[in-house]
Amino acid sequence: MITRRSLLASVGAAAGMTQIDPRFFISSAYAQTTEPIIFLSAENITGNWDPTAHTTLSQKNIEAYVMGYLSRTPMRPENPDETNMELAESITLLDGFRLEIKLRPGVKFHDGEPFAAKDVKATFEYGAQPDRPAQWYPGPTDSFEVTTPDDMTVIVDTSKGGYAASLFIFLASYLPMMSAKDIAAGPNGPLSQRLNGTGPFRFVEQRGNDTVLEAYDEYFMGAPKVPGVNYSFVGDATTRILSMLNGQASIIERLEPEQIETLTGKPNITLSKMVSVENKYLWFRCSKPPFDNPLLRKAACHAIDREIIYEVLGESGSPSKNFISPIKFGYIDLDNYPEYDPEECQRLLAEAGYPNGEGLPELEYITSVGFYPKTKEYGEVITALLQEQGFPVTLNVMEVAAWNENLYDREGGGPGHMIDCGWSTGSPEPDLVLRTHFHSSSKRITGLVDPDIDALLDKERSASTLEERRRIIQEELTPMLADRAPALSLFTSVLVHAMRSDLQGLFLYPDGAIDASKAAFV
Amino acid sequence: MHVGGGFIVFIVNFLIRRLAQGVIIVFLVSFLIFTLLRVIPGDPVRLMAGGMAPDHVIDQIAEDMGLRDPIPVQFVRYMGGVLQGDLGQSFIRPASGAAVGGASFDDNTRSERAEVFDLIADTAPFTLQLALLAMAFALIVALPVGIYGGLRPGKWPDRLALYMGSLFISLPNFWLGIVLALVLSVNLGWLPAIGYQGFAYTILPAIVLAVEIAPFLIRSLTVSVAQNMRENYISVAAIRGIGHRRIVMAHALKNASVPLLNLLGVQFSMLLGGVLVVEFIFDYPGLGLLTINAVLQRDFPLIQGIAIVTSAAFVVINIIVDLVATTIDPRLEY
Repeated sequence: MITRRSLLASVGAAAGMTQIDPRFFISSAYAQTTEPIIFLSAENITGNWDPTAHTTLSQKNIEAYVMGYLSRTPMRPENPDETNMELAESITLLDGFRLEIKLRPGVKFHDGEPFAAKDVKATFEYGAQPDRPAQWYPGPTDSFEVTTPDDMTVIVDTSKGGYAASLFIFLASYLPMMSAKDIAAGPNGPLSQRLNGTGPFRFVEQRGNDTVLEAYDEYFMGAPKVPGVNYSFVGDATTRILSMLNGQASIIERLEPEQIETLTGKPNITLSKMVSVENKYLWFRCSKPPFDNPLLRKAACHAIDREIIYEVLGESGSPSKNFISPIKFGYIDLDNYPEYDPEECQRLLAEAGYPNGEGLPELEYITSVGFYPKTKEYGEVITALLQEQGFPVTLNVMEVAAWNENLYDREGGGPGHMIDCGWSTGSPEPDLVLRTHFHSSSKRITGLVDPDIDALLDKERSASTLEERRRIIQEELTPMLADRAPALSLFTSVLVHAMRSDLQGLFLYPDGAIDASKAAFV
Repeated sequence: MHVGGGFIVFIVNFLIRRLAQGVIIVFLVSFLIFTLLRVIPGDPVRLMAGGMAPDHVIDQIAEDMGLRDPIPVQFVRYMGGVLQGDLGQSFIRPASGAAVGGASFDDNTRSERAEVFDLIADTAPFTLQLALLAMAFALIVALPVGIYGGLRPGKWPDRLALYMGSLFISLPNFWLGIVLALVLSVNLGWLPAIGYQGFAYTILPAIVLAVEIAPFLIRSLTVSVAQNMRENYISVAAIRGIGHRRIVMAHALKNASVPLLNLLGVQFSMLLGGVLVVEFIFDYPGLGLLTINAVLQRDFPLIQGIAIVTSAAFVVINIIVDLVATTIDPRLEY
């Protein structure tokens, strides 16, 4: 029954509701167009900001906002060797073993220290120390000498190591320049606690999973137009895409093929697709049976029909026939690259002593799910194709942390017999892949020790000119790798980013790094 | 009824007894989690040290950290720290709290590891806020539907309560989360969905959780209200001339609230420890997301810390619920 009192109470409550501002509870997701760029990353970072302490791609991408580089290489397929000077004004080969770098004057680090030749020297010498996990350099610190005739000139002399100084040309576009002062403070100093660079954005703090960067107004190529970048790790692909759809995220990365379909045609979202610097590989554990036998490795390669993998990947993969991406220096479609050939597979199996696969032990093929697109799906294809030829293979799909735990070679050979992984380095330098994985001094995943391959890797590193080096890589080294097959490069990844259409002026590098110094919401 | 000094004695005895039981429960949970973590596959040292670390380095680090000692020895050492308020340091996370990947084994320059207590203290308020809001949303729906259903057994309000409960309980929370985010956030732009930048970010995940727990509340209310309305004291109250509203509010609901209260306690405790999927979908920075990442990274101290805190919260909440229930219905003995 409605009484006078209850009626008045209802009217009063209704009147009160009109006084409540719903914005306190509900704020539109589209209301934040002037905020910093929000980048949602598929990969987490490490606990150490020292750029030489890790090979983690997401952290390299954060460094690209903050750090400065002597030069940058856009690495577009139409002109893979293009180089743009940044902190360097010029990089000149004086002779086979000497490189001169002239630096741009008037540049400052974010902590106020002026950038000079001493910083380049310190960066080169520190980064090349054998105990630095990133291992970027053609040789350890004692294999080259860096001198600084004046504050703006650096001379790199590689004659002690006996390899060409030209190797530093491509590395110059990849090595973030650190402050000599930070390096001098030692490995437990500020270097590991925060980033200090000369790039367009300044590192502010790590807030949980968010790396907070703000525009550096004194950036030597002009102050950024956006106030900052928030770089956040969001592990779930669906969550990232929902953030893109509702306008919370400015950019997301590593889209799966079906997600590309979902976002295609959305008026407020732009897709960027580019052939990346990353190849995806099936790595063999070469230091233990049965894949210590190159015949067997090659037989496995001939069992795999890469055309089916391309179909599974859709737009996320691009065909390639080499161990490096087509945008790396020295790429060529190899004539002897192992193709799908069941007859050849059977011939090699028989020659290796395992006719039809008989006598082979149970083989484990490890892959991951959650980071790379479609790994489980094409892993199942590869497993089925290998089984078809008689390889007793079991696919073991792991979440990323467990897979990472099992990735690398160790004493007695890494876990399993084959493992899936990509390798991405933001430079045209091929040795960042080839030497890292196939030289016996590194052999990250395969555990390969092959004196012939070592000799060719050393030979190409020591070539006196870039043209000679290119020839050795294309005509000797990579054909030998195709023949010995310590790994099978399955395809080159296509990096797919989705970004808000009103965010313009970004330049995306094919390793996923982004130059946002000229970006703006328009 | 316990009154005056007797009541205080009762409260003190009650608290001592229940807290003692609670300590045993937390201890057993801790031991169970501690043991399980150490017998399942996956070596945390491998994650800490990085994939490139040789086996002998892994063994050395594990030995240095005491991870190769017998499990009871490790447990006693761990509980010794816990009793002094030290939940240990995360194996993986730096002090900034970021979820991180493995570093290289010979990298001695990693940032200081985060204290487990700090990580939990930073994230628990978010989960508490989410759980409270979810409970509020659930009650807003469950109270009218459940009470009205209980007052009209066999009629449409009862059927509505039944159908609504059945519908809600059939909706998988991950599916509902994605659909709600698509509709309310993507299409309508009413609510933000991902991460946390303010209170509004709690609403969508709270709705999903409310839909998950509302069926239990609705069913409990419907049944207990209907049951109480059939009791003699209700008929007698009507004969005594007490109005229907007063009978329902002051008598039937008061008695029906005891099972509801127990259920609320259980549901709330489960919310604190069981918001994993919802927090993961919405990237909501609470205990659930922390737990998922800790499990994926084999971060033993963090998993153990979360287990201890949530089981302790479970115990405390249930003690409070029982206390309140006793004051509502003094016949209850706990």
